[in-house]
Amino acid sequence: MNPQMLVDSASTVPLPAPWWFVEFFKVLGFTLHLAPMHLWFAGLLVAMMLRAGGGLHARTFSRRFAKQMPVLVAFGVNFGIVPLLFLQLAYYQFFYPATILMAWFWIAIVAILIPAYYGVYLYAFGLRDDDPAGPSAFRRWIGWGSAVMFIVIGFLFVNGLSLTSSVDAWPAVWKDHQVAGAATGTGLAAFYVPMVWPRWLMMFGLALETTAAWIVLDAAWFARRETDDYRRWAGRFAFGLAVVGAAWFAAAGSWYVFGTWPGPVRETMFAWPAMILTAITALSPGLPVVLLAMLTQRGFSRTAATIVAATQFGVLAINAVSRQVVQNLEIGKFTDLAGQTADIQWSPLILFLVIFALGAVVILWMVAQVVKAARST
Amino acid sequence: MHYPWWYVPYSTGPMLIALVAVVHVLVSHYAVGGGLFLAVETAFAYRKQHRDYLAYLRRHARFFILLTVVFGAITGVAIWWTIGLASPLATEVLIRTFVFGWAMEWVFFVIEIASAFIFYYWWGRLPERTHVRIGWIYALAAWISLVLITGITAFMLNPGDWPGNRTFWVGFFNPQFIPQVVARTGGALLLASLYVYLHASLSIKDERLRELVSRRSIRPSLAGAVMITAGGAGWYVFLPPSAIAVLPSAAVLNVFMGLIVAMTAVVFAALYFGPYRNPSWLSPGFAAMMLIFGFGAVSIGEFIREAVRKPYVVYNVVLGNQILPEEMPRLAESGVLAGGTWTRAFVTDRYPELIRDDRLDLDRLAALHHADRVALGEVLFQYQCNDCHAAANGYSAVGPLVRGRSPREIQRLILDFRNTHFYMPPWAGTPEEAGLLADYLRAIAPDNPEGMFLGGNAREDDR
Ligand code: HEC
Ligand code: HEM
Repeated sequence: MNPQMLVDSASTVPLPAPWWFVEFFKVLGFTLHLAPMHLWFAGLLVAMMLRAGGGLHARTFSRRFAKQMPVLVAFGVNFGIVPLLFLQLAYYQFFYPATILMAWFWIAIVAILIPAYYGVYLYAFGLRDDDPAGPSAFRRWIGWGSAVMFIVIGFLFVNGLSLTSSVDAWPAVWKDHQVAGAATGTGLAAFYVPMVWPRWLMMFGLALETTAAWIVLDAAWFARRETDDYRRWAGRFAFGLAVVGAAWFAAAGSWYVFGTWPGPVRETMFAWPAMILTAITALSPGLPVVLLAMLTQRGFSRTAATIVAATQFGVLAINAVSRQVVQNLEIGKFTDLAGQTADIQWSPLILFLVIFALGAVVILWMVAQVVKAARST
Repeated sequence: MHYPWWYVPYSTGPMLIALVAVVHVLVSHYAVGGGLFLAVETAFAYRKQHRDYLAYLRRHARFFILLTVVFGAITGVAIWWTIGLASPLATEVLIRTFVFGWAMEWVFFVIEIASAFIFYYWWGRLPERTHVRIGWIYALAAWISLVLITGITAFMLNPGDWPGNRTFWVGFFNPQFIPQVVARTGGALLLASLYVYLHASLSIKDERLRELVSRRSIRPSLAGAVMITAGGAGWYVFLPPSAIAVLPSAAVLNVFMGLIVAMTAVVFAALYFGPYRNPSWLSPGFAAMMLIFGFGAVSIGEFIREAVRKPYVVYNVVLGNQILPEEMPRLAESGVLAGGTWTRAFVTDRYPELIRDDRLDLDRLAALHHADRVALGEVLFQYQCNDCHAAANGYSAVGPLVRGRSPREIQRLILDFRNTHFYMPPWAGTPEEAGLLADYLRAIAPDNPEGMFLGGNAREDDR
């Protein structure tokens, strides 16, 4: 079956925003989603391991991190809404069929997310600063359970998005999982789209590095009660973790690019000018490693930690941009994405931007109140 | 048609939407009303320097966050998940129409989360005035997000002038907008008070404090009940005529309408005789009873709100079976099997000889074996009927609905939907396709139950 047959014609409702606007918010939203998501995707597992087998400082970090987790999950999930909205807006012809073909796995995300999220709270509520014994065995199990569930959710996301851009695989999934032409929703992309595995692993490697950046950022800004000795440990550990993460990213990324990219995508991404983007994406995760090495050599400082974190955020942004370029290449084979007929809703668009700016002001005001209160206590 | 249809055995996919939506609504209304409760009552407690009440409010805030930020937020995300899977065409149309409504709503979500966490985690560390202000920021942001989403859900029931003038604001300020905002705001006030009563009755030992809570929340709850009633009346007045006609035509909705009136009356009476006249009555059992009845009324209301849209998902814009009304002439011409994206792919793959020049070849169709006719009929069932009907067993299963009818009778019934069953989408395909569907339905229709003595020989029909 020619997969093009399965791609529906364009919507009868025109695109309400300029194309660049859609792409901008999709990439921005995804970058904002990535940063906290990495902390629960890989970070929580690291924290559980440190709690089980680490020394004094490792346990201190683990405790701090687990307590931050509920807030991180809340914001990370919330930021995920932005790319989801713009993905559905402009890639509906691809996103809906793909997720319907794997409907039960896709919907499992929310079913798993609820216990994983409550688990994080349960574990965090069991942590006391002054309690050497730590949380009860029951709560520790819950913590491990959440860490595993987040990794599974990440896997399901990779399945959904890989299938969204792998139209070539749709006929086979549909054929194997249908009742009279209707999808049963039981086709897991990983069995049909080889790129799922390296993509998932690649994300995990990058997530380790983001966790490393968070460790130093937290030690620099939020850990006033901890000792200088703790901060030195944080720098050293973060460096080690970032080395592992970057190496892992390089290995899985090579598998992804050389082993699973469709030929035309590879040709374009290795040709001028996309080649520059490919090279920057591949090399950029080295930068935080170098910066962390300098931080451990020259001594821990707030400035250094902030630079590491900002650089890692830049790495994530570059990654999000490349991902978008590749997604557009894969899908662009089947439809003219940027050429969708548009009828721009200017007044709602501008109102949204105004509200976006005002919302940022309100949030900054609230944060300023908190900072003021923190200074005075 | 446009998208692959997701076959969910027994329940049907759209029922999953209803299920998730109802669960979400029970918490999200509390997320709005409870925020108002916390802001108003914290201000009151500070003013009176009521230490015990403040301590209680802090416990309540913790419960509130655990329920709304986790369960409330994720079930809201779950609605997105299920509508995309079970009603993709309608979701596509709604998102391309209202993306900025949702984007604005998202900004208020971020404000809600930030203010809720600060309100709770920084309790006792912020100056009192600042603390109360943050509570108000939460309450306001939550209510605005309610208003924004209501514009979109109200649109689905009555888009007003939008089909002729497809602009954002015409769609957003639709005839159902104000009634539904009033009803939902009332629902938020009422449900929040009922949550507060249950939580307080379980967690406050001191009788005097419990009475205080009881008295403080009675006025918002009664005001909420009045607003639900007023908004409900407005909802009815601004229903499209077909929706008003659906109400009596489905037996289950009649029962539900009766139930909702009864449950609301019970909650009203309980509030009046309980917290209003006898604030000391606030026992856990009594509070739980009120909350259960409140849940019942709101869930049923939500279910009816969804159900009366038949045969549409978005009134006059998208039909229940994921077809746009303006596509009907084209499909009547080509046939559904040749005219839908996924149905055409199915036929091209399995019965390539049936499609010629983009339409069904009727001669070859007529020559098909019975088993193939049934197989194609099942495809038609999936793509035309499964939104609202399970197959042989389950929710509104269609097998029993055609019990005892011959294929010809069924075919005639289907072709006549347009005249006789306005709450179902009219038949979209060709008469020959209706014949295929009839063969399939005949194959899954059960026989009459055995063992019934009716005083004579049963009619022998023309099977
Ligand atoms: C938009 C929802 C919807 C769709 C789509 C739909 N139906 Fe129905 N159908 C209903 C409702 C509601 C009833 C009334 C059921 C009740 O009262 O319990 C009904 C009743 C019926 C009945 C019984 C009618 C009678 O008068 O005895 C049959 C037969 C039936 N549907 C067949 C079909 C077939 C075949 C299709 C697909 C071509 C279909 N329906 C599509 C909603 C729908
Ligand atoms: C329920 C709330 C969430 C929403 C709305 C959401 C949204 C999204 C969206 C839209 C994307 C795709 C971005 C794009 O390609 O443009 C994405 C990617 C991803 N999300 Fe989330 N997310 C959520 C929760 C999570 C959770 C809990 C995890 C767990 C680890 C997670 C892990 C991922 C991963 C690994 C990817 C990358 C997939 C890939 O492209 O290979 N997300 N998310």
